[in-house]
Amino acid sequence: MLPIFADLDPHTIWNAPSGSIELVIKCMVALLLGAAFVGICFAIPSQLRRFIIFTATFVSGGFYILFYYFPAPIARQPLDQPRNVLEGFSFWLTDAQPIIATISNTIGSFLIGLGIYSLMRVHLRKLMKKQKDWGYSLVLFVSMLLMVTFGYWDYFDRFGKDGAAMAAGPAGGAWHFQQYANDILFDGFFQQMEAGMFSMVAFYILSAAYRAFRARSIEATILLATALVVMLSVMGAVVYQWDEGIKALAHNDPGSFLNNFKLDVIAAWLKDAVQTPSIRGIDFGVGIGLLAMGLRLWLNLDKTGGAV
Amino acid sequence: MASRSSIAELGNKLQSLPKPALYLILFLVASLPLIKPIPLPNSPDPASIDFYAHLMELPEGSKILICSDWTNSTRGESMGEMDALLRVLMRRKIKFAVYSIGDGQAPRVARETIARISREEGGGQPLYKPYEDYVVIGFFPNGEGQTAAVNTNVRAAFAGKTDISPTGQREVVQSPVFEGINSLADFKYLINVTASSTNTVILERIKKTNLMFAVSGVMVPENTVYYASGQLKGLLGGIKGVYDMETLMEYGVNNPGPHMVTSAAYGQIPGFPGKANTGKGTAYYPALHVCLSVLILAVITGNVGMFLSRKGR
Repeated sequence: MLPIFADLDPHTIWNAPSGSIELVIKCMVALLLGAAFVGICFAIPSQLRRFIIFTATFVSGGFYILFYYFPAPIARQPLDQPRNVLEGFSFWLTDAQPIIATISNTIGSFLIGLGIYSLMRVHLRKLMKKQKDWGYSLVLFVSMLLMVTFGYWDYFDRFGKDGAAMAAGPAGGAWHFQQYANDILFDGFFQQMEAGMFSMVAFYILSAAYRAFRARSIEATILLATALVVMLSVMGAVVYQWDEGIKALAHNDPGSFLNNFKLDVIAAWLKDAVQTPSIRGIDFGVGIGLLAMGLRLWLNLDKTGGAV
Repeated sequence: MASRSSIAELGNKLQSLPKPALYLILFLVASLPLIKPIPLPNSPDPASIDFYAHLMELPEGSKILICSDWTNSTRGESMGEMDALLRVLMRRKIKFAVYSIGDGQAPRVARETIARISREEGGGQPLYKPYEDYVVIGFFPNGEGQTAAVNTNVRAAFAGKTDISPTGQREVVQSPVFEGINSLADFKYLINVTASSTNTVILERIKKTNLMFAVSGVMVPENTVYYASGQLKGLLGGIKGVYDMETLMEYGVNNPGPHMVTSAAYGQIPGFPGKANTGKGTAYYPALHVCLSVLILAVITGNVGMFLSRKGR
């Protein structure tokens, strides 16, 4: 088979040594070709654009279908050679997959750029026209600018030749202004706010459970009782006390029927006999739905989302 | 005897406690155990015992792969799981490689956690050296494809990725962590510390090595299915899983004593008595208790209110 999409070592057209000029040139060329391709896609008629997208989707999906369903070599050793065309194709699929994954990782990374472009477009317009709540847009721009500036400044230091000393933290004495600034922005603000946002869920859960979790019917009562047992079963102190009580009632006899009423035994039964089969059933349903959705996307049968 | 209308009125009142009061109660009871830690008895789950036992069974110098897919939004649970996992790995001199498929922030959060635990375990000096003892490979936006690549050819999947080394940036596959690693099977385990749906991505695609997961509390029911089927060799779930790990690190398994953790599946497995075993599990487990107690009481109050209200009509 062609060496395309196969064998990273020795290096092929798809890669180059890390940090080398060759790699930088290849990245630049790829970027220019990518930009030109996007430009062409904007210029051509929508029917042709649809055809290009369909072809790309079909080929990409087809590769992974072959990768998963075509018989793969078992216990293949690095120096093994294929004995016939079919084995050769199988070897090629296996060798090509990591390269395809790298390409899709690269394309995926561009989605971040797309997100930033979209965000800036919306908020820049709001800011320029001083629309309602333009102050929030200003905060967004200032935050983004600071984070990008100090993030990259810190990144280049850390991945430089003294990066190992910096990784040890401020105690090592290798931190400069940019490291402290980045630390305050990322760990001091951003991460704490994220944790704060998530912790608020507890308050909403309490409020929702109080107002909605009512024994209004037989089904709701069963659900309520089950939830109560499961919640109690993760409270170690309650489990310990309850189970000690059952043990005492059973006179410490491990064969006693009463042992079935230990809280952890009831919870385990609920998990094994009720929860696990239910979730498996749901998973099967979701799996079949995903298969149908995947087929629709792969064969371009999904017409929703407007013209491309 | 109370009239029907007064019973109904009481029922209505119990059903409509003001939200700010509920929030205040939750805030106060959740804060108290953080100020005054409360030691609680614990009986580790079999899934947590499996997780600990498998780590302890690894020969010294083994290598494992960690997929770290959590950030500070779930640090109460995920950071505790990561801390406990790293402590055991460092005490057992097990090298590890970390990568992420769930969140772009995850590698940095993992890197900082590793550096912190390394300093704590080394008594102020880093016990584990970057690049020599561990590598942080980075974030891969295409989780599905990358995970399939990791299973197909782990060296090719991570080729070209670099990490900080004492001599600058170097390719991770050239690091001592990847010495002798030719296939994913050479990593003894792939452990996914996650708070997102990357667990299923890994479960569906990794075939060449054993899997263990450390997940957030809400993900436990879903993952219990895979543990029950034997697809997962061990499972840590939420803050209970963290507390289990801390209990196991302190007392081991089947070691006689007042706090003996028993398991019929294993012989004696040592703990690490005298070391810094307590952490987020010990700190937060009481808070989970009181928060769940408030939740249960609130639900009971609402239901009592509903019954009184109906009775009074």
